[in-house]
Amino acid sequence: MARFKYNKAAKPLESTVETGIGTSALDLKTIAKAIPCQEACPAKTNVPAYIEAIARGEDDKAYRINQEDNIFPGVLGRICTRVCEDACRHKWTNVEGPVQICHLKRYAADNIKEKQSAMPPWFGPTGKKIMVIGAGPAGLSAARDLSRMGHQVTVVEKAPAPGGMLVDGIPAFRLPRDIVSAEIALIEQGGVEIRTDVHVTQTMVDDYCNAYDAVLLAAGTTVTNSIAIPGAEDRQISGLDFMRGYNRGEVTAVRGNVVVVGGGFTAVDCARAARRVGEKDALVSIAYRRTEASMAADKNEFQAMAEEEIAIRTLLSPLRFELNDRGAGTLVLQRNLVADGTLGVKAKIVPLEGSEVRIPCDTLIVAIGQKRDESLLPFGVDSEEDGKTSKPGLFVSGDFKGGSADVISAVASGKNVARLMDEYLMGKRRLMRGVKYEVTDCDGETGRYRDHDIQFPLPMPMAPVAQRFENNAEVETGFTQLIAQNAAARCYLCHYKFEIDQDKCIHCNWCIEASPRDCIKKAARIFYDADGFPTKVFEAERNQDATYIYIDNDECIRCGKCLRVCPTEAIRMRKLEAGDCVKCDD
Amino acid sequence: MPKNLIFKRRSEDEDIKASGMYLDFDEMGKKGVMSSADSSIAKWYGIYKSRQPGQHMARIVIPGGVVTSEQAKNIAAVSEKYGQGIINVTTRQALQFHWLKVPNLADVMRELFEYGNSTRHGCGDVTRNVTACPLAETCPAARINARKWARKTADVLGAQRDLDDLPRKFKINYSGCRADCAQPHINCVGLSGVVYKGQPGFKVVIGGGMGWKPFVAQPLFGFIPEASAVDVCRAVALLFREHGDRFNRAKSRLKFVVHRNGIDFCRDVVLQNLLSEGKSQEGFVVEDIDDEGTSYEERPLLQDTPKGTDGLFTVRVIIPKGELPFRKFYELAKLSEQYGDQRLYTSNRQNLEMHGVESRDVSNLKFAIHNLGFETDGSFSLRDIVTCVGTTYCPKAVTETRVLFDRIHRLVSRDTYRGILSSGIINITGCPNSCSPYRIADIGFRGMRIREEEGSVEGYEVLLGGSQTSFGEKLGEFKLCDCEEVVTLVLDAFMMVRRDDEFLTRCVQRVGIEYFRRAVYGEV
Repeated sequence: MARFKYNKAAKPLESTVETGIGTSALDLKTIAKAIPCQEACPAKTNVPAYIEAIARGEDDKAYRINQEDNIFPGVLGRICTRVCEDACRHKWTNVEGPVQICHLKRYAADNIKEKQSAMPPWFGPTGKKIMVIGAGPAGLSAARDLSRMGHQVTVVEKAPAPGGMLVDGIPAFRLPRDIVSAEIALIEQGGVEIRTDVHVTQTMVDDYCNAYDAVLLAAGTTVTNSIAIPGAEDRQISGLDFMRGYNRGEVTAVRGNVVVVGGGFTAVDCARAARRVGEKDALVSIAYRRTEASMAADKNEFQAMAEEEIAIRTLLSPLRFELNDRGAGTLVLQRNLVADGTLGVKAKIVPLEGSEVRIPCDTLIVAIGQKRDESLLPFGVDSEEDGKTSKPGLFVSGDFKGGSADVISAVASGKNVARLMDEYLMGKRRLMRGVKYEVTDCDGETGRYRDHDIQFPLPMPMAPVAQRFENNAEVETGFTQLIAQNAAARCYLCHYKFEIDQDKCIHCNWCIEASPRDCIKKAARIFYDADGFPTKVFEAERNQDATYIYIDNDECIRCGKCLRVCPTEAIRMRKLEAGDCVKCDD
Repeated sequence: MPKNLIFKRRSEDEDIKASGMYLDFDEMGKKGVMSSADSSIAKWYGIYKSRQPGQHMARIVIPGGVVTSEQAKNIAAVSEKYGQGIINVTTRQALQFHWLKVPNLADVMRELFEYGNSTRHGCGDVTRNVTACPLAETCPAARINARKWARKTADVLGAQRDLDDLPRKFKINYSGCRADCAQPHINCVGLSGVVYKGQPGFKVVIGGGMGWKPFVAQPLFGFIPEASAVDVCRAVALLFREHGDRFNRAKSRLKFVVHRNGIDFCRDVVLQNLLSEGKSQEGFVVEDIDDEGTSYEERPLLQDTPKGTDGLFTVRVIIPKGELPFRKFYELAKLSEQYGDQRLYTSNRQNLEMHGVESRDVSNLKFAIHNLGFETDGSFSLRDIVTCVGTTYCPKAVTETRVLFDRIHRLVSRDTYRGILSSGIINITGCPNSCSPYRIADIGFRGMRIREEEGSVEGYEVLLGGSQTSFGEKLGEFKLCDCEEVVTLVLDAFMMVRRDDEFLTRCVQRVGIEYFRRAVYGEV
């Protein structure tokens, strides 16, 4: 029996490999915890990597990183719903709000220096032919990825131009059309054929299913919801129709005072578009039955609406429309309350009987949502689980699959269905989601220090109101390099993970002394789940109770001071990169 | 002002330095507190924060390791008045006080200054205390009086304000001959006396150092005339000033500059620095010259009571743990007046020495020293253990090194080991900073904590067979409770294979570390 061989607590492992690619549940859990923004993003964009590139002045690289997971960086940099920002670690470790991820994405897209080319293919030609119905964000995402997988992809689109809701629904003052067309051109460059003005019917879908190896229905939601407002039966315009007309230049004027009923993205767009083509001094109002907090608009849009003098009237439901002898209309609404809801359940509307509010209204736009055109779905399809329908070779994605949602969800949906279709066509999963680990040798030098965390983020510059109404000019004018780098420098660069090798650590606590905040802890015990992922850490106060010295990645600011001060070189910094990796046994 | 994610090639310490390097200790004393930025600058005044909140350490700079008896009495008095009466001798021949309070710091410095004692540049990113081999003046083996040049270098470089802001500390030492008693190979600059074509001068090595990442110094010049010694030290300091890393303090010492850029690059820069300041390079030889000096085993430093070239003797005072009370320090100063040359000398084994003792006085002096409770013989033996202060005072320390000192001291004092006492030295350091250079000792201990099933305990990494040109090899990591047993196993194994008067280090080099590992771990 050997002497002096001590029993020690097990080394905590948070990955299955040192360097290289890990695809186990533990690896995926580690990356999900380590990079919350990427985990929150439906398309799983590698946010910290591109923000780091922006901070270092490498805008082209940043755009390219975005392109990997998201075909529309320039588009989504303007109109994304930013679930990533809600997950940003600055939300709970700082009082200045999250990193302005979306604005940064746009900054990189706007400041590309070199002409971009299509993303390189993952696999060689497979000889498989695919038809995608709908050239919206979901259809194009799927098409781009399927094309990178080596399939021959054709996209058909009903409208005269590809883009779907990007060009029909969203106004140009929020999303200039050249941005959309440039990014679609990149997809076409990659080998995707787009045919416009093709009106697809159910019979054609059936024909496509016979003629192609796989078909994707990503036709979006084109049928608008309506409500019965007595007196306004033939006067109400649907929000989508109004926006489509406005965007195609068919609607150039609206009469008198405008009321938009609804509180979603379309409602806000309608109101702002109506302000641009409406009569001077006319009232433009939004009437919504819930509160502002439930509206889809973000802070900048509320600010823009205030500047553009759009009245937001909430907790109101339309009752009837009245017309006086002089031809002036009024929308009569009833006050309502929103009942105290249960968590996770949309709260009920409680009308206040007898209350009435009158808003002058000559043009009534109703923007209360859309649904898909059911008639496109071939007869006999009875399940659409995860995008795979009961009809072999037919897939659905985007709004058509899940109902109308935001653009990033559509992009993600297209991305995911592309992988399902590839698996269906090739008989095996060729792309795996995994984590690439890389041990860095830069002395933990990320360029960050504590001052970066606590500086004030600067707001998105906006065009002056007077200039906004000329030529449908874009309202948010974009970050300058100074603002962008300032914003990017706030990012904690969560894709760098500092770790202590417990067998090298001598518990000198120098890293704890050097740490800029409470980011390195003494741990008495660490608990793991079945996959080996640490779920709970019991902290220790005293040295003798500390089994481990443990870096809390939630608090780490990636300044690298701990690594540099460690006298036993026990601390290392690994770069984590989650994404698709080509399966090795291919 | 927004801050971009630029590569800030400057550490926070450099920011603090850039914001001004002067402190008003009287004003600070009135406030009674020292801010963390102030405590960074206080290092230039020789003041460090202690492990205990509100307590401070002051380091008295003793160039060449010699104080007059008057200065020693002054140090004793200040220690009594402000430092709880405790004085520490360091391995770099300085003296330290502990337990100083902020309101007293100005008075401490003022009262020390009365007798020419100073804490200035005791710490900080400057030329630190310039050390010399203890026997300097009268060592029979010496080629040159190292102390003279150590003091001169300290005077000249200490007065040059353009060397006040180096990237990190800068350590120079002088040895009288190539026996290298002052340990040049573990310092930034080491100069060893040599004679070349009848002319005295120095061999120069640079870029050595202990700390968390040890390097053996590399030869810069085989020979420089003695008159050029100070100029060369300044030229190396300028090399360091311009090429040291000001971002990562853990890698900013000169040793990293030399390691990164190579010795040839450094030599070119040093020669260029000399040229641009109009200093002579005449007589410089790059290659090693043929003057090996005395061998390690034969050097007079190892003798208990070495006799000098003037016929007078040196008597040692072994200071356990390098710490002694002010009253004993005061008494030793008085003894040096009575028997010695009215001076106390500090050694790099944390001991004190008295020089110039007449042959007839040696026994009386030793008797007087024994009466004070100190031993006089057995320096450079297994019992002359050098230990850093450990968690007793030091905020960086991981272990309480003095506990291990007591245990090991008791162990090696056993009769069993009487025959091998002079076969080596033991150094114990409480953290990887290696204030007690554990890598160059025959047995070296470095403090650490060892993880258990739950919690952790104090332990040590143990090295065997170190010298200043070849560092010790790792035996293993052991809990404090096992260290005595480990040392027993090592010494017993050593005694089994020792040849004649072989040193432990030589033995490890001969039979290999594996032999000792097997002896300790009990593996076949």
